Amino acid sequence: MSPSDEELVAAFQSGDIAAFDLLVRRWDRRIQGVVFRLVGNHEEARDLSQEAFLKAYRALGTFKKESRFSSWLYQIAINATRDRLRRRRRRTDVSLDEVEEGGEPSLRDAGPSALELIESSDLSRAVAAAMASLPEEQREVVILKEYEELTFPEIAEALDVPLSTVKTRLYRGLGQLRVRLERQGIRGTAAVPVPSA
Amino acid sequence: MDCDAFRDDMLDVLYGEGGEAVVRRVEAHQAECPDCRREMAALRRLRGDLAQWRLPEPLEAAPVPASTRRLPLGLAAAAGLVLALGAGLAVSGTEVRYERAGFSVRLGRASDTGALAAVERRHQEELALLRAELAGVKAHDSREVLATVAAMIRDSEARQEAARQATVRDLRARADSQRQYDLARVSAGLAYLDGKAGLQAARTTELVGHLLKASQQR
Repeated sequence: MSPSDEELVAAFQSGDIAAFDLLVRRWDRRIQGVVFRLVGNHEEARDLSQEAFLKAYRALGTFKKESRFSSWLYQIAINATRDRLRRRRRRTDVSLDEVEEGGEPSLRDAGPSALELIESSDLSRAVAAAMASLPEEQREVVILKEYEELTFPEIAEALDVPLSTVKTRLYRGLGQLRVRLERQGIRGTAAVPVPSA
Repeated sequence: MDCDAFRDDMLDVLYGEGGEAVVRRVEAHQAECPDCRREMAALRRLRGDLAQWRLPEPLEAAPVPASTRRLPLGLAAAAGLVLALGAGLAVSGTEVRYERAGFSVRLGRASDTGALAAVERRHQEELALLRAELAGVKAHDSREVLATVAAMIRDSEARQEAARQATVRDLRARADSQRQYDLARVSAGLAYLDGKAGLQAARTTELVGHLLKASQQR
């Protein structure tokens, strides 16, 4: 049975450097996946994932055991992504249209590779585009919930916000996604099964 | 009807995080509120659409880390039941086969216990041989390993230092010879200039002498 994240963290803190390697192997692709959904660029996702792990490596010695390693790592990756998007926004002239739409220019600025890289159906591209139009805070919550399957308390921990804020952002984000997808003629064809409580 | 009050509960139910009480509360509300019923259905459909967003190939197959993998309660219970059943069958010696005619199950231990006992004996003998071989091998002390690694590191550092010093010596020698060569060229250049200047001065003196002589003759 493979050791848990928390056991690996404890091993690292006791001087076993190789434990960090296992954590990287375990989480690298997932972190890259989250970041890709946030920035829409594969190269940048890889770069930001490396940056997040480097920061984690430097700070893991002082990591407190009260929080989950995964939430902590998501937090580092999301903060790094926010910084990158902020820098990118400063460099980019945001058009008035984009401001009026209230959307994030981040994914549209990433160039054609952003959406073209997604090798799947039109629906996949439509969802990616709708997601790109969400305000950053809502997009983060929707991605962590829908694709990373984090629980509400885990998202609250990763984003360092109250539980109620997480639910508000999610509800608004889902509402906007619904409107945007419906505008493209997508009205939901494959409902998810009702989860068991 | 205050539908907003049910919003958080609805999200809990939508994502399977609400307890029984929450589920009952939401169901009771939706039974009386067609708007919320429709909204819940729309959100379920939306989630179905969102699930279609695929990542690029290298990221798509990202496995869920073991520590975060969660099974729905029902599925977990079913998996537990299957495991328990499998373990029980294994312990009881029950044999399950799938052949052309379909599955066949034989309850109880196999009759050929003699053959099994022979296999067991053979394994025990092999294990004993392996143990004997292992006993012959000198166990490595971790301190001994550490000392060896430290010695290897020291050797490596010494080799690197020797190589560095050799490189420095070589560079110094090359710099010296280059300086000597440059000095020789400068010196030769100066000598050439000196010679040229001397010749020019002699010619000037000769010319002045001629001019003086010519003026005296007039």
